Amino acid sequence: MRLLLIEDEEKVSRFVRRGLEAERYAVDVAPDGPQAIGLATTYRYDLVVLDLMLPGMSGTEVLRRIRQDSQQVPVLILTARDALGDKVEHFELGADDYLTKPFAFAELLVRIKALLRRGAVSRSNVLRVADLELDRLTQQVKRAGRRVELTVKEYGLLEYLMLNAGRVLSRTMIIEHVWDQSFDGATNIVDVHVRHLRNKIDEGRERKLIRTVRGVGYVVGEGEE
Amino acid sequence: MNTRSIRFRLTVWYAGLLAGLLLFFAALTWLGLARYLNRSLTEALARQARQIGESFLFDVQTSGEGYVVAEINEHLAPEKNDHFVRVTRVDGSALYVSGRPLNGRFDPEQVPVVPPPSWRAAAREEHLPGGGELLIYDLPFTARDGSRFLVEMGAPYDSIENVLRGLLLALALGLPLTVAVAVSGGYLLTRRALRPVDEITRSAERITSRNLSQRLPSAETGDELERLSAGLNRMIARLEESFQYIRRFTADASHELRTPLTVLRGELEAIAQNPRLDGEVRDTVGSSLEETERLSRIVESLLAISRLDVGEARVERVRFDLAELAAATAEQMRLLAVDKKVELGVEVNGVVLIEGDPARIKQVIVNLVDNAIKYTPEGGAVRVNVRAENGHAILQVEDNGAGIPDEALPHVFERFYRVDKARSRRMGGAGLGLAIVQSIVTAHGGQVAVESEEGRGSRFRVSLPRKSIGGD
Repeated sequence: MRLLLIEDEEKVSRFVRRGLEAERYAVDVAPDGPQAIGLATTYRYDLVVLDLMLPGMSGTEVLRRIRQDSQQVPVLILTARDALGDKVEHFELGADDYLTKPFAFAELLVRIKALLRRGAVSRSNVLRVADLELDRLTQQVKRAGRRVELTVKEYGLLEYLMLNAGRVLSRTMIIEHVWDQSFDGATNIVDVHVRHLRNKIDEGRERKLIRTVRGVGYVVGEGEE
Repeated sequence: MNTRSIRFRLTVWYAGLLAGLLLFFAALTWLGLARYLNRSLTEALARQARQIGESFLFDVQTSGEGYVVAEINEHLAPEKNDHFVRVTRVDGSALYVSGRPLNGRFDPEQVPVVPPPSWRAAAREEHLPGGGELLIYDLPFTARDGSRFLVEMGAPYDSIENVLRGLLLALALGLPLTVAVAVSGGYLLTRRALRPVDEITRSAERITSRNLSQRLPSAETGDELERLSAGLNRMIARLEESFQYIRRFTADASHELRTPLTVLRGELEAIAQNPRLDGEVRDTVGSSLEETERLSRIVESLLAISRLDVGEARVERVRFDLAELAAATAEQMRLLAVDKKVELGVEVNGVVLIEGDPARIKQVIVNLVDNAIKYTPEGGAVRVNVRAENGHAILQVEDNGAGIPDEALPHVFERFYRVDKARSRRMGGAGLGLAIVQSIVTAHGGQVAVESEEGRGSRFRVSLPRKSIGGD
C-alpha cells in the first residue's frame, strides 16, 4: 500500500510518516502543491492525506487537480480550520474524510484503514477477542461462554472497541462514534462508561481485556499491560 | 407619552412661550381699547356740553330759561339716549336736570352738586349709591351777559364695559383655542421632523456583530440628522473593520496554535508506542499527553467561542423539539449521575419547538447537566426542565449541590472563570464550559441566567425564542 502525504509542516509529516511506516505503509511526502500534483499524477497511490494550508497553492486547489486526474483515490483531509462550511465544501469537491488538527495518530490510522478497506469491510457477524464474543446480529455479548448483560451505550462502546481490537482509540474517537460531538468537552462520559463496561467484562477475571493507555485512550486486546 | 422625549419637551416649551406671548398681547389690546373708549366717550360728552352752552345758554337772557330747557329736551332727549344732563346756576340751583333714563339705569337726583368754587372743565367719574356708574364732563360756561353756569353732560360706563367684556370673552375663548391648535400643529411638525431619528434608532437596534455590513438609512437632506446618521455609519464601518480583524486573527490563531499541538501530540504518541519504555517515563509521557489533550480542548473551545461571538460560525437553522432533545441528552448522561449517586430528573411535557443548530444546543444541555452533576454531592438531585413560556422556550437545569457564592455569581459566564479553582482544575475543566453555553445561546438569539444560593444549589435558566407549530 502506497500513500501520498501532502503536508508542509516538516515535523508533522515526519511523525505521520514514521507512524505509517511502522504500520508497513509506503509513504511519499510532498511539502507543497506542485510537487504533490506531480507525484499524484505520476504514481498510483492507494490513498492521499492532504493538508489544506499549503504554501503557494491551496489544498483545495490540489484536491481539485487530483480529482481531475483520478476519481478513485480516497482523499483524507487534514486541516487546522474546522468551520462547518469548509467541511461541506471539501466533501463536495470529493474529499472522503476530514480530520481536524490536532489529531491523535491512532485516529488518523483508524480513518486511513477504514478508507483503504472501504467496500471490503469485514462483514463478520461475530467479533472475538480472546474469550470475549460479541454477536452483532443478536446483540449478545458472552465472556467465556457466559452471557453478559449490557446497556445500549455499553454495547455500542464495546462493539466499536472490538471492531478496532488491538488499536488504541482516543476519547474523541469514541465520543464521535458512540455518542456525538456535543459530548466532546469536559465531560468524562467515556471514562464512566468504560469503567462500567469493564466491571461487567473484566471484573473477577484474571485476564483484563479492556486496557487504558494513559493520555491516549482505550484499547481492547490480549496484549500485555 | 414619554415626557422626556425631545418632541414632548419642544412642544411644551413652544406652547408655554406662545401662551405667554398671546396673554401679553391680549392684555395690551384690552388696556388700549379701554383707554380709547374712555377718551372717545369723554370727547363726545365734552362736545355735547359745549353745544348746550354755545347753542342754548349763550343768549339765555333774551331767549329765557324755558327755551333752554325745551331745546335741550328736543335736541338731546337725554332720557331716551340714556344720558345725564344738568345745567346749574352759580347759586347752586338747577336750571335743568334730565329725568330718569327710560331703562332706569341711574337716578339723576343722586348725582352730587358741584359747588361753584370747584367748577372746572374736566371729566369725572360718579359712583351712584343706587347703583350705576357715570362718566360726567363738567363745563363751566359764561353767557353773553356774564352769568355763569355749569353744564354737566354724563353717560353710564356700561357701554364701555360691555365692549370690554365682549373683548375679554373673545380673548378667553380664542386664546386657548389658538394655543391648542398651534401646539397640536407643532407636535405634528416635530414628529415629522424627528421621524428620521426614530428610523435611525430602529435601524441601529437591528445592527449587531453579525450584520455589521448593514448601514443606517441616510436621507440626503443636508440637515443635522443626515450628519448624525453619517457619523453613526462611519462608526459602524470602523467597528466592522475591527471585527474583521478579530475574525482574521481567529483563523490565523487557530492554525498557528493547532500545528504545534499536532506535532507535540504526534511525537509524544510516537514515544508512548515504544514497548521498551520503563514505567516512570511511560507515566510522564502519558501525563504530557493528557495535558496536550487538555490544551487542545482549551484551544478548540476558545476558538469556538470567538467564532460564535464574532458571528462567523455558521449556525445551522433547523426546527426541532427542545424538550425531546433535552430528555434524550439527559438520558445519555444518566450514567454520569448514577456513577456519582446523584438523582437525575427530567420534566418535559409537550413539544417545545425552537429553531437552531441541534448539535450546538445539545452542547448547551450537556455542559449545563455535566456541570450540575459535577458540583452536586452524592445523594443530591439534578433536575432538567423544558417548558414553553409565552414566546420563549425555557430550559432549566437545577441542582441542590454546592451552589455558587454571591460574589462569584456575576462572573460564572466569563472565560476561564472558576468558582473553586483547585477543585475545578482537578475535575479537568478549563473554565470555558459556561462561556461556551453563553456564546451558543446568544448566537441563537437567547439568554442564559443563573440563580444560586451557596450550599443550597443553583439554577441555570436558558431562554430561547420559540417557534410555533406551522408558524414562521
